[in-house]
Amino acid sequence: MAGETGYGPREWLAVDETAAAFLSRSLSTRPPILLPPPLHRAPLRPGNVVEIAGPSNSGKSQLLLMAAVQCILPKEWEGVYFGGLGKAVMYIDLDCRFDVLRLAHILRKRIMQGCGSAHPASEEFEKDVSKDKSYSFQDTLFSDCMKHFLYVRCYNSSELIAALKSLNSQSEARGKVLGIGIYFLMLDSIGAFYWIDRAPQSTTESKGNVISFQSITENVVQEIRKFLHLQPVLVLVTKAPIYGDGITASNDFQRGSSKYMLEDSTASRYSKREEERNGSYREYMPSAWQTLVTHRIKLQDLEQESGFSSEQDSEVLSVHTSEWLHPSLNTKEKFYIKDDGVGLIQ
Amino acid sequence: MNEGQPPVENGGVLWSDGMDLLKDVAERKHFFPTGLEGIDTLLGGGLRKGQLTELTGQSSSGKTQACLSFASHVAARHMGVVLYLDTSNSFSPSRIARILDEIPISLIKEPKDVRLKRVMSSIICESVFDIFALFEVLDQLEVSLNDKVNNGGKKICLLIIDSISSLLAPIIGGKYSQGRSMMISVAMILKKLADKHNLSVLVTNHMVAGNGAPKPALGESWKAVPHIRLMISRDRGSNICTATILKHTLMASGRHLRFAVPG
Repeated sequence: MAGETGYGPREWLAVDETAAAFLSRSLSTRPPILLPPPLHRAPLRPGNVVEIAGPSNSGKSQLLLMAAVQCILPKEWEGVYFGGLGKAVMYIDLDCRFDVLRLAHILRKRIMQGCGSAHPASEEFEKDVSKDKSYSFQDTLFSDCMKHFLYVRCYNSSELIAALKSLNSQSEARGKVLGIGIYFLMLDSIGAFYWIDRAPQSTTESKGNVISFQSITENVVQEIRKFLHLQPVLVLVTKAPIYGDGITASNDFQRGSSKYMLEDSTASRYSKREEERNGSYREYMPSAWQTLVTHRIKLQDLEQESGFSSEQDSEVLSVHTSEWLHPSLNTKEKFYIKDDGVGLIQ
Repeated sequence: MNEGQPPVENGGVLWSDGMDLLKDVAERKHFFPTGLEGIDTLLGGGLRKGQLTELTGQSSSGKTQACLSFASHVAARHMGVVLYLDTSNSFSPSRIARILDEIPISLIKEPKDVRLKRVMSSIICESVFDIFALFEVLDQLEVSLNDKVNNGGKKICLLIIDSISSLLAPIIGGKYSQGRSMMISVAMILKKLADKHNLSVLVTNHMVAGNGAPKPALGESWKAVPHIRLMISRDRGSNICTATILKHTLMASGRHLRFAVPG
């Protein structure tokens, strides 16, 4: 065999790449991503799958929008520095509660902040000429960025799987038009169809072809993996907990829930009330999903500490906590959500 | 799995970008003033087309009154047809007449009885007593909205379900998951109708006793469904109501406003 291809054992033993070269190649093709707080604590790279879990009203969708704005803003535009990633985002909406006005609001604020810091004296120039120029600059940048945000809505699991199958062709087509690639993939609320899919199918057209939540999730995971192979992106997924007495025990659920319970019991700082709440959270996503997820962050809404008021207005703002479960950082960070963004509480 | 297949044109999946969404909102998804100024101010204009709004509150806190008021105002201002699904026979034409009487003088351009007749013919009221009847009504609604034939120029623009919790509360809970799956199915159908056909959907919910303060019924699974959740409460013995935002797509929750409810 050695003589046929001229590929002898010596060549086989030769080094392909040193570790340093491997590291630098990997860092350049998959650079680390810095997301706005509170997602900034863990190092993230394209190819990672981050699961943002939390009950209703804990700020999950807000974090997704902040990350999306960070991605679609360019790093620099006509001399003004924005610090964004300058790539496209694909957003799959399963909850069907996405409000484009909120995205627009956050984006405009970021653009104004960027312009404001670049031209601090612009407030003095009240002349129309410079105002018009700055408005058109902001408007062009705004519409450019909004074009980098791709959105689709799914009303059931079959639509979700169809959307995932179309990811690759759509991203290629849009990439040609826009000239940039996709960098983030977002799924809002992976458990949105849980109850619909779990209901026992009373009539099945073909015998034995019962579509269960587990098989749908495995299908979803397979499609996401296929897409990640072709195009490494950062995947951000929100997950709402499912409360239910009707969850039948299966191997996956028991295994999943015991893993979750173990993580809970190590943190002894939880108050009794939180323990009650956490006790009813169960890991309902099958093991196929849990192996796909590489990072986990848990959000919570603090109801007791509602007495936080911001500096500008005396409105009472709600305070949320975030905690990285995987990689486990053992710290809880507090943040509040304003109309136009998120702020960390030190 | 599908490498050999020729590329299908997205397989019917419709991707849009941010500018398309903004255009859709600007051109089609407008605000409906509700007639109750307090709620209009709180919501920044009123109910929005394409969104599912939930109004929750304890009994006799003014939910039905608010629904009747919304229906009357939308019908009175020629904004379209209202479909009112009533689950407890609380729809009352005499209350609508009284609400219309309270509308400020400047908006009156026709004699009262003519206006009353016009408003009444723009409100379609149907009694729905269980979840299956609701599915049927929504099905028929979807068919009639998909129908391209112009039916007299008036399309349904507001759908009110008073109260959806009396249809859903009896079926959720218990061992079987079918109740919850029906609840989520209804939720998806309502949101799809709202978005595709530019309806504004308003549903009411009652409150149940929780650990401590009363909380909205239908549990945690329902919390993720509506776009906007409003809680309304009435001060005892007066007609001053307080509306609080529990969840909103654009605003932080917790904002509240006190206002007087007529009648």
